[in-house]
Order: sequence, then structure tokens, then C-alpha cells
Amino acid sequence: MKSLAIKNLKGRPVRTAVLMVLAALLSFTALGGTLVVASLGKGLDSLKARLGADVMVVPKEATMKKKFEDIVLQGSTGYFYMSYALADEVIQREGVGQVSPQFFLASTGSSCCSIPVQIIGFDPATDFTVSPWIKRTYGGELGKYDIVAGSDLNAFVGDKLSFYGVECTVAAKLEKTGTSYDTTVFTNKDTITALIQSSLDKGMNDFKDTDPEKAVSCLMINAADGTSPEELVNDINIHCKKVRAFRSGDMISGIAGSLGGVSQMIRLLIAAVWVLGIVILLLAFTMSVNERKKEFAVLRVMGASRAKLAGLVLKEALCTCLGGSLIGAVVGLLVLLPFNGVIEKTLALPFLLPNAGSITGFAVSAVALSVISGAAAAAVSAWRVSRIDTGLILRGDN
Amino acid sequence: MKRKAIEWILGVLLLGCSLCLSVGVKLVFHACGPKDDGSFMTCHWAEQAVLVIGGAMTVISLLVLFVTNGGMRRGLALALAPLGIGAALIPNTMIKLCMMNDMHCHAVMKPAVIIFGITAAVLGAVYALVGKKD
Repeated sequence: MKSLAIKNLKGRPVRTAVLMVLAALLSFTALGGTLVVASLGKGLDSLKARLGADVMVVPKEATMKKKFEDIVLQGSTGYFYMSYALADEVIQREGVGQVSPQFFLASTGSSCCSIPVQIIGFDPATDFTVSPWIKRTYGGELGKYDIVAGSDLNAFVGDKLSFYGVECTVAAKLEKTGTSYDTTVFTNKDTITALIQSSLDKGMNDFKDTDPEKAVSCLMINAADGTSPEELVNDINIHCKKVRAFRSGDMISGIAGSLGGVSQMIRLLIAAVWVLGIVILLLAFTMSVNERKKEFAVLRVMGASRAKLAGLVLKEALCTCLGGSLIGAVVGLLVLLPFNGVIEKTLALPFLLPNAGSITGFAVSAVALSVISGAAAAAVSAWRVSRIDTGLILRGDN
Repeated sequence: MKRKAIEWILGVLLLGCSLCLSVGVKLVFHACGPKDDGSFMTCHWAEQAVLVIGGAMTVISLLVLFVTNGGMRRGLALALAPLGIGAALIPNTMIKLCMMNDMHCHAVMKPAVIIFGITAAVLGAVYALVGKKD
């Protein structure tokens, strides 16, 4: 009976191919959609894990910048500065706990490329946001002209990168985050000061009235015990006119909102494709069985039981659905895994692929779901086949 | 008859992969554009190398389709295997691409060339084996 099912499938290659394509589409949609939604969720988790500070304070004019939140939160290229005097004004406020400054600088393009690289400088003495993350891949102290490269930079430990004519050494490479931090360079305060000075010497940067030796881009603040981040943000915004304070959580809510919207759209799309796919499979199996009624009647006359006929229809469905689902899953993996960079860039949202185990789990589940759906759609036809009236069909009255 | 059909399908697929490498690398999954000063980044030279290998593979694939001698056809198909692997190794392994992995050469050109190169290599080997069976 098993070989009969295979022979039937081989005998009708077009029908078999169409059914396999449908099953492939179902598993491709399930796997692709689930993987994208899971990657977006993981990207957001990764971004939340990197926030580190309760409150971020930036100069007021920075908030006018396009994609200002991406610069502060995700390491997109861009820069702004405020003087030490302004920073001190904020630090003196009541309720300020840990404070650490950060310095932003966008390169004009490194030695090989025309695309600028965001360089973030931090003060190792006070930093509590970047250092814990760097320590996961690099235990040592960063020396002058040492840099830590994001995971998506095509540079490895020991490589030399030149920014504004200053040669820096890659001391470590960070884990992937799924955000623009992956293409960012981190370094200490001394190195970034030297880079800023070099950019000024070459006339590639303009600090206007701000002294680059006495400037910071952003203050990362943790609220002191007994003060809530909301109170601290309100206090700074009321009393320090030339800066703006934000709660890190509030800044991320916009990204979370976009991400939720995209995920919802993908889920709807998966549901629509699945409903359509199952209806088409149901119709295809029903039509196929109707067309083959005489073939089944002859098999009955030759001694095949009703259960065997139903089993034959189900086996055919299982074979086509399994083959198609496997093809769909493989195509899905071949599209999503190598081209995840394009998806990340197109969505412009944090996007971090799950680990290999989870991806395998998603692929197996998608194949199983597609096979079960195909088998369920075929079960109706199998039941009908088991109920055919052999005499009536062979007399040609049906 | 059945073997001929399989060989024809494999030959067409080989030609498709070769065309994807030669034409596709220039039109669809190309490298990054020139810098503002008009000079090219290193990925451009990787694209040129893939174009040359893809061109050679296209000619060989056409020969695979139209040469009548079975042994020669299998030999030509088998020659596509190392060429396909060679093409797949060019982006970033043989010729370094740009600095950031989210740039077009890394995000689009590299995976596409690897997929089409490896697929051509596998199909070429399969073609040689399928022909040998008969």
C-alpha cells in the first residue's frame, strides 16, 4: 500500500508538485513569520539589557536631531555635546546617584569604507553601563588607542583601524546585540579626546563654542536611593533649562510600540496564509478524490478494505505534505539566516536571531504543523473515500 | 529518457545559478557603490572577481546543455563544482569586504554568492554522478 501511494504520487507529478508547493508555502510562512517575530522580541530584550541607566540627560538641541533616540539608545551615527558646566549643573541636583558621562563621535569613514562609524567614549572610572557588557568579552583595561568593536564590524582582535588619521587597535569584539551598537566602536575617554582633537586639527569637525576638552555628549544617571527616576527626570527638566532628561524605559517604549505593530502584522499575515492554504489543500484533496472515485472503486473490488483506501489517501497526503514542508523549511532557513542583515536593515528595528537550538525547534514545529494541517485536510477526503458506493460508481451512475 | 530529463533539468538549474552569479552580481546583489570621491571600496573587486568566475561558469553551463558527448558533459558539469566553491569563497574569505556587516556587500552580495556558488557546486557534482550511473 505504501508503494502504491508513492506510485500514485509519481503518476500525477503536476498534482503532487502543486500540493507540495502549498505545503511548502505553509511551512515557509510559519517558520519565516515565527523567526522574524522571535528575532524582533530578542532584539528588544537585548536593547533593554543594554540600557543600564535609569535616566539619560542630553543637551536640549540634541532632541531636535533626526533619530536622536537611535543615537542615544542604539548607537546610530550622530553626535552632540554639552559643556562640563551644564553637566555639573545636572550632577548637583538632589536625587542623582551614579553618574557617568559618554562621548559620541561619528567617523567620516574608516580606512576602508565611506560609511561613518559611531564611536562612543566612556569614562572607565565611573562607567556602569558599557563596562559590564564589555567585560563579558574582554576582562582587561582599555589602554590609550585601544578600541572595542561591535560584532558587525569586519575587524578582529589585533586589527588596526584608523579614524581621523589616528591608528587604533581592536582590543576586543562585542557579542551581537541586534541594534546599531553592533556597528559601533567603544573606547575610553582618553582615546576619544585624542580622536576629537585629531578631527578638529583636520578641520573635519566643528564644536562651535564648546571646548572639546571640557565637553560630554550624554550623562547616564541612576537615581539615588529614595528617589524615583520619574521624580529625578521632572526635577532635572524643571531646573536645568539647557538639557533634557529622559527615562530610559520611556525612550524604549516607542521602539517597543513599532515592534509590537510589526509583530502583529506578521502574525495576521501568517494566519491569513494558513487559512487560505488549508482551504486550498482541502479543496485540492476533495477534487482529487472525486476525480479518482473509479480508481478507488476498482481497488475496493480487488479486495482493498475501506480502512486501506482511507489509509492510502492519508499516506499520499502525508508524503506530499512532508516533502513540501521540508522544502519550505529549508528555503525559509536559506532566506532568513543568510539575509537577516537585510531584514534588520529594512525593518530598522532591533533584530537578533535566536540561538541554533531555538531555530531548529521553530523549523521542526513548522514542518510538524504543516504536515498535521495537510493530514487534517486530507482526513475529510479519506473519510469520504471509505464511504464510497462501489457498485454505483462502477455502473457510472455517479 | 528519464535520465535525459534529469540531466536537462540539472543543466538548466546550473545555467540559472551561473547566470545569477554573473548577471545577478552586477544587477541584483551587487557590492556597495563608489565612495563620494569616486573611488571603489574593496568589495567592488570581490564583485568583479565573482563576475569573471560567474561568466566562465555560464559558458561551461551552456556547453553542458548543448554538448552531445555524455562523458564530456559530465566532465564539464564536474568542473563547475570547484568553480562554484571558488566563487563562494571570494566574498570576505579571499577578498575582504567592507567594514560593517550591515553594508550591502555583507548583507546581500556575500550570502547570495555563497548560496548560488554552493548550489552550482552541488548540482555540478550531482550531474556528474547521475550521468555516471547509466
